[in-house]
Amino acid sequence: MRMIDLYIQEVTRRLPEKSREDIALELRSTIEDMLPDDYKEEDVKSVLEKMGNPAILASGYLDRPMHLIGPRYFDVYINLLKIILPIAAVFSLISLIATTIFSYSGDEAVLNVILDLAGHGIWGILSTGVQVFFWLTVVFAIIERTDHKQSQTPLTACFKEWTPEDLYNIPYIPKEKAISKVEVFLGLLWTAIWASVYFNAASLLGVYEKGRNGLEFVTPTFNHEVLISYWPLAVIVIGLEIALDMYKLRTGHWNRKIAVLNTVMHVVSSVVFIIIISNNQLFNPAFVTYITDLFSLSGDFGNWFAGGAIFTFVLFAVIDIYQGFRKANIKK
Amino acid sequence: MSTLLNSLTTELRRGTLTLAVLSQLRTPQYGYSLVQLLEQCGISIEQSTLYPLLRRLEKQELVTSSWDTTESRPRRYYVLTPYGIEIYQQLKKEWEKTSQELSLLLKGEDNE
Repeated sequence: MRMIDLYIQEVTRRLPEKSREDIALELRSTIEDMLPDDYKEEDVKSVLEKMGNPAILASGYLDRPMHLIGPRYFDVYINLLKIILPIAAVFSLISLIATTIFSYSGDEAVLNVILDLAGHGIWGILSTGVQVFFWLTVVFAIIERTDHKQSQTPLTACFKEWTPEDLYNIPYIPKEKAISKVEVFLGLLWTAIWASVYFNAASLLGVYEKGRNGLEFVTPTFNHEVLISYWPLAVIVIGLEIALDMYKLRTGHWNRKIAVLNTVMHVVSSVVFIIIISNNQLFNPAFVTYITDLFSLSGDFGNWFAGGAIFTFVLFAVIDIYQGFRKANIKK
Repeated sequence: MSTLLNSLTTELRRGTLTLAVLSQLRTPQYGYSLVQLLEQCGISIEQSTLYPLLRRLEKQELVTSSWDTTESRPRRYYVLTPYGIEIYQQLKKEWEKTSQELSLLLKGEDNE
């Protein structure tokens, strides 16, 4: 009977070579046992229906799981994915922004560069995400298939079974005190952006005018040699910001130590900012003239601008310092 | 019967299947004869569950199997090994204990 042959073939083709023949023989004898002596196609159909879906029958014979990642590893898998995905995405974005700004030649309009960056950024995050997702899943699928322990107990993040002692490793963090990963990553992103702009100010910041090929760069804002001569100070601030962000990421919640370090960082960066911006050689004379003419300002544009910038910078620093201490002092 | 009740019932019975199958294998049985034996006692078992289960029991060395080719069609007979008998006895005790405990619990509910 052809249908029986086909059914057996459907089951055995899913099985390892060595057990095929034996299982096929047993299935055939069973199916024939179930059929009446003088059977018709209808009988065969009803018997095969009782035997059920060949794929399910075959999977019963196999020791292999019918899932990619089972309950034992699922929780670890999801937790790792949650940790790794955002880190990978942010690093791909930061490195993209840094390379774009450093390789910027000044020929293209900034708006175009930013649009390009957004496009590449989204694409980069997506492809990094897919890569991470794919490889992590592959690794876990392999672990799932090579772990022959009978136990199905789910594992914790350290690949061990849970014990009450694990609770000691979890800090209790009230929501108001928590430092979110997003906050830290935005901080890192901000550092990467301003640092790249600082070192490339000569070709990025300045006056743009409508020319024949879209926007054209006319005059830089800063006197580049003066600005860049402060590079050791800038590097110190960059180092402080990154160090603080990393420390915040590791600790995960505000405490007094972080609030103090945050204050130190803000004081240092404010001092550096004031030193740089109050240098009266900083602004490009051509730029100052241009702006003064454009808005028909009277008086010294440089002083006026520097004063406003210092006020804004220090104001935000003070607010952030205050917030840091407020969050550190929340008790629960 | 609602789908939920259906799936809960299946779940409830699944654990007892191994015991049911082991209990019938004190004498050699082949696949279909085992199905009939179980059905006579009102236990219906999916065919796609039974045959793989038999193989698994064999791998776990609870049963042995052999082909009998003396009859009109060859049949594969399964029977408990000494180790299988031992495990079956213990499993049976566990089941009796569980069902006693459970019936106590269920009776207690009726008296309230």
